[in-house]
Amino acid sequence: MLHLALRMAAHRITALLAVACAVLGGALMITATGVLAESGLRSQLPPGRLAGADVVVAADQEYHPDADLPIALPERAPVPAGLVDRLAGLPGVTDAVGDIGFPVALVDARGRVVPVANDDPRTAGHGWSSTKLLDGPRVDGREPSGSREVAVDAATAAAAGIGTGDRVEVVAGGRPAAAYRVSAVVDAPDAGVYFADATAVRLSGPEGPEGRDRPESRDRTDGAASRAGTVDLIGLRTEPGTEDRVASAVREQVEGTGLKVLTGAERGEAVAPGVGSSRSLLVLLAGSLGGIVLLITGFVTAGALGVAVAGQRRDLALMRAVGATPKQIRRLAAAQSMVVAAVAVVPGVALGYLLAGQFRGQLADRGILPAELPLTVSPLPALATLLLMAAAVQVSARSAAWRTSRMPATEAVAESRSEPREPSRIRTRTGLLLIVAATALSAAPLLSRTVLGASTTSIAGIVAAIGLALAGPALVKGAGEAAVRRLRPDTPAPTWLALANVRAYALRISGVVSPLAMAVVFVLTYTLTQTTVLAATADDTRTGTLAQHQVSAPGLGGLPSGTLSAVRDVPGVRAAAPVGTTTVVWPYQLFGETETEESSAMILTPAAADVLDLGVRDGDPARLTGATVAVSSEVARSRGAETGQRVRLVLGDGAQVDARVVAVYDRGLGFGPVVLSHDLAKGHTTTDLDQSVLVRTDGTAAAERALTELTAARPGLLLEDTASDSDTASDSGTGGTDTPPEVWINLAVIVVLLGYLLLSIANKLVAATAQRRAEIAALRLVGTTPRQIRVMMRREAAVIAAAALTTGLLLSAVPLALLGQGFLGRPWPQGPAWLLPAIAVTVVVTAFLTIDLPTRQALRTPPADALRAP
Amino acid sequence: MNNATTRPGHFGPAAGHAPAPAIALANLSKTYPGDVRALDDVSLTVEHGTFLAVMGPSGSGKSTLMHCAAGLDSPTSGSIRIDGHEIAGLNETRRTELRRERIGFVFQAYNLIPSLSIEDNITLPLRLAGGRPDRDWVSTLVERVGLTGRLDHRPAELSGGQQQRAAVVRALAARPAVVFADEPTGALDLHSAHQVLDLLRDLVDELRQTVVMVTHDPAAAARAHRALVMADGRVVEALDAPTAPQLADRLVALGER
Ligand SMILES: Nc1ncnc2c1ncn2[C@@H]1O[C@H](COP(=O)(O)OP(=O)(O)OP(=O)(O)O)[C@@H](O)[C@H]1O
Ligand SMILES: [Mg+2]
Repeated sequence: MLHLALRMAAHRITALLAVACAVLGGALMITATGVLAESGLRSQLPPGRLAGADVVVAADQEYHPDADLPIALPERAPVPAGLVDRLAGLPGVTDAVGDIGFPVALVDARGRVVPVANDDPRTAGHGWSSTKLLDGPRVDGREPSGSREVAVDAATAAAAGIGTGDRVEVVAGGRPAAAYRVSAVVDAPDAGVYFADATAVRLSGPEGPEGRDRPESRDRTDGAASRAGTVDLIGLRTEPGTEDRVASAVREQVEGTGLKVLTGAERGEAVAPGVGSSRSLLVLLAGSLGGIVLLITGFVTAGALGVAVAGQRRDLALMRAVGATPKQIRRLAAAQSMVVAAVAVVPGVALGYLLAGQFRGQLADRGILPAELPLTVSPLPALATLLLMAAAVQVSARSAAWRTSRMPATEAVAESRSEPREPSRIRTRTGLLLIVAATALSAAPLLSRTVLGASTTSIAGIVAAIGLALAGPALVKGAGEAAVRRLRPDTPAPTWLALANVRAYALRISGVVSPLAMAVVFVLTYTLTQTTVLAATADDTRTGTLAQHQVSAPGLGGLPSGTLSAVRDVPGVRAAAPVGTTTVVWPYQLFGETETEESSAMILTPAAADVLDLGVRDGDPARLTGATVAVSSEVARSRGAETGQRVRLVLGDGAQVDARVVAVYDRGLGFGPVVLSHDLAKGHTTTDLDQSVLVRTDGTAAAERALTELTAARPGLLLEDTASDSDTASDSGTGGTDTPPEVWINLAVIVVLLGYLLLSIANKLVAATAQRRAEIAALRLVGTTPRQIRVMMRREAAVIAAAALTTGLLLSAVPLALLGQGFLGRPWPQGPAWLLPAIAVTVVVTAFLTIDLPTRQALRTPPADALRAP
Repeated sequence: MNNATTRPGHFGPAAGHAPAPAIALANLSKTYPGDVRALDDVSLTVEHGTFLAVMGPSGSGKSTLMHCAAGLDSPTSGSIRIDGHEIAGLNETRRTELRRERIGFVFQAYNLIPSLSIEDNITLPLRLAGGRPDRDWVSTLVERVGLTGRLDHRPAELSGGQQQRAAVVRALAARPAVVFADEPTGALDLHSAHQVLDLLRDLVDELRQTVVMVTHDPAAAARAHRALVMADGRVVEALDAPTAPQLADRLVALGER
């Protein structure tokens, strides 16, 4: 059977090339998605600063829902300091270090902040004893002593232009910049800045009595006290060869506390929980890509195989005539496709690994992923790809050969030269049903004004396009018949022929119209969903942000403690309030099952009501004190969390808290689903410093000038206009970003998927046209000139392009109108005006080129030859 | 070197101020890849109003001769004149147009367009030439070959013989000056074969059309003014007003050679 399949395959190069391309591209994307998913679950960070520690004890920075993947927790959870001494006493332990990290940054001679190299400024400061955890550091100088000496890692020292013995200004733990003497330069990767141990403990804690006694800072003092007597992690050095023994002894010691004991490659997890949590971004990304990639790959592969098998219908029918059983026919079609797929899948998988690497690099360059996060490379994604592709190819090839294989042999031969007169009823009905279902699905944005609700728009569009692919033949046939009936008798022959072909080859025509329509639908819905949600979000934030300015200190790891009061004292400032972001995990009951959702959450004080208008529908955000939260109306409705209810949340460091809902607001899209009170989040974030302060002034230029002066006078402070940065409020924790990273990711996804779709469409059209050699030859033998053939084919291309554009637009119109209604309150989406013309040009050019070129090719063979060897 | 000139004898026009012959082939050769000489230096003249039959064993080059003479295929060497127009050197488009104007062809394998109805197939060449079909003429032809009532069907829905008759009608619909028919009765029962042969003969007699027909049936060839016998790519014999037994003899003799 294989031998036969190969012999027959040799005649169908273009069609098989289309199959090969579809499989190759599909394998590439599935593998790449798989690698991202696996890396998100299992990739291990380099141990960096902890490379010299043999065993590391740290809190579990993951929340484990009952029946779901663990959720990474980005805020550092503490470890009891008392444990350090207990572990130090274990046999085999040579050193036990309780490591702490706190915000630190250097200020160079010109008053500019020099961030600590390769480190989170929020946790770059450590005690000198932590240098024992470094792997063979070269120390130039001596241990810092007293309260005015630091040791700096070599990269940071070089960036700041300082060396051992120099003096340098240091902003540490939110204190005002102070002069320190550099006692040593430490040469080790990602080392950080070191203080004398006692100084480090003091700096990591709350500011002492000399700090200003404002209400906010006093609150913070209380909160930070909860972290007293803790360390971030404990690192152990052991006698050579005893690591395993020590590790198991430690495990016994910490049994039941929920702490994790990490050795070897696992140690990277403990370096920075925030970094580890961005791993989960990969899982999310892979999850959201996976659906679309699988749908489109399946669609494209099935389409390519459809063309390949259709080109073979005559061969298959003749084989039936000479005695092949229906099953043999299907097996033949499948075997042939499998051979081609097997050849194509190997480079596809290999390229998939490369693509995943490229993608990771791009994400890291854009700061979406930490640069040090590596990909996990295992054969698992390849294996999954092989299985998925094999299943897709088998199913598509067999169903493409189904009709020919099941018919009586003579009928099959008779039909094999043209197409069945009546498209299959079941197929048409299934397709129409899918389109209806997709329309129903696209109502989601009306019900849920969230990113998740919006994402159904493009899925609905794609499902509708698949429905179109199924119902296509019947629709094309109907349209073709209507068109032919309406033709005037003096219509030029090529036009008449083109329309006659549309009617007679409805299957073939809809086979090329539907992927083009799919491309139109995909690009329209996917792009416009992003831009519409972005516009709605920007609108929410813009109308909801009363403050004109935002003060932050991205390089310092947090605002120095006097900042808020200093800002409030600036003349012309009406209101100022601290704003931060963290992560919450919210387990809730849905249909009797526990759903666990992770989301970002703003941290606000009651004063925030003066700078932000969340669109409060119920309750009062001024009551955001103590253990309270405010929630968006979406969340309030879907999780039964109306004002006055008590909810149970897991904070960013894993702490379970009970909180009361004091307000429900409407601008959830702009400000996120949950707002935590400052009091509630206190002590549960990596640093207790404020991340930013929103400032509302009287709007005068004088006020702005005064603010500018204030921030210029204090190193590291950054003053931004809230208006210029649409994403300020929701992103205030990380400081301003120009374009949100999702936009970039989505753009990349569109480009890759669209490229794949267009390539497959081009292949399919070329293959379909090449298969028409015999038909073209027959036409030429009865007297059609080459010119007339080309005109006829161009008319067909025009019909195809027009049909693809119209159906694509129609199918996208309903989901996009509903999206616009749900998000912007008007029945059309928001997006770039050039999108539609660009799509139209792409579709038209693709259709014309891929039909015209193979037609010219077909016209080169003399018709008599073409007929003899169909 | 073969040289066969066919004249219609007493059926044809008076010789004298002879216009260009309907078909004039000179030194025609066609070699297929693999050194297959399908036509070997054939020269042949066919006057207007002649009914010519071509016979010969399978593989002797009959179809190749027809294809080349009708401009469907290009010969390796030699000249082809239809109505005095040289077509051997023309480009594909010009050749097609000339073919459409002057030549009708009944293919051995019918070559009906599977996606079109029988009626659309029949009128297709006219439509391609930008003309309107002559309804009466077409329905006369359809009636004479007994295809009435089948016009709405697709070729695949017709029997082999019916398809062949449709192909004959298509070749004649535009009233071409020259009709080439490659075994137009090969798939037909005696009665239908008679209908088709009568039709061809009437065209020659009444409309002075020129018909060249390939056949394996000596009785059919006997309806022609003249018969050529081919073997190995050459014309080995030309018989005027042939009779069926005479032709059968020649063919048997060829088979024994
Ligand atoms: N494309 C081709 N390539 C090579 N040889 C060919 C080709 N077409 C025809 N031939 C050969 O040329 C010779 C003449 O073929 P042709 O079709 O003219 O025969 P024919 O007399 O019409 O036979 P039949 O009565 O069986 O139809 C045969 O030997 C055939 O094998
Ligand atoms: Mg022949």
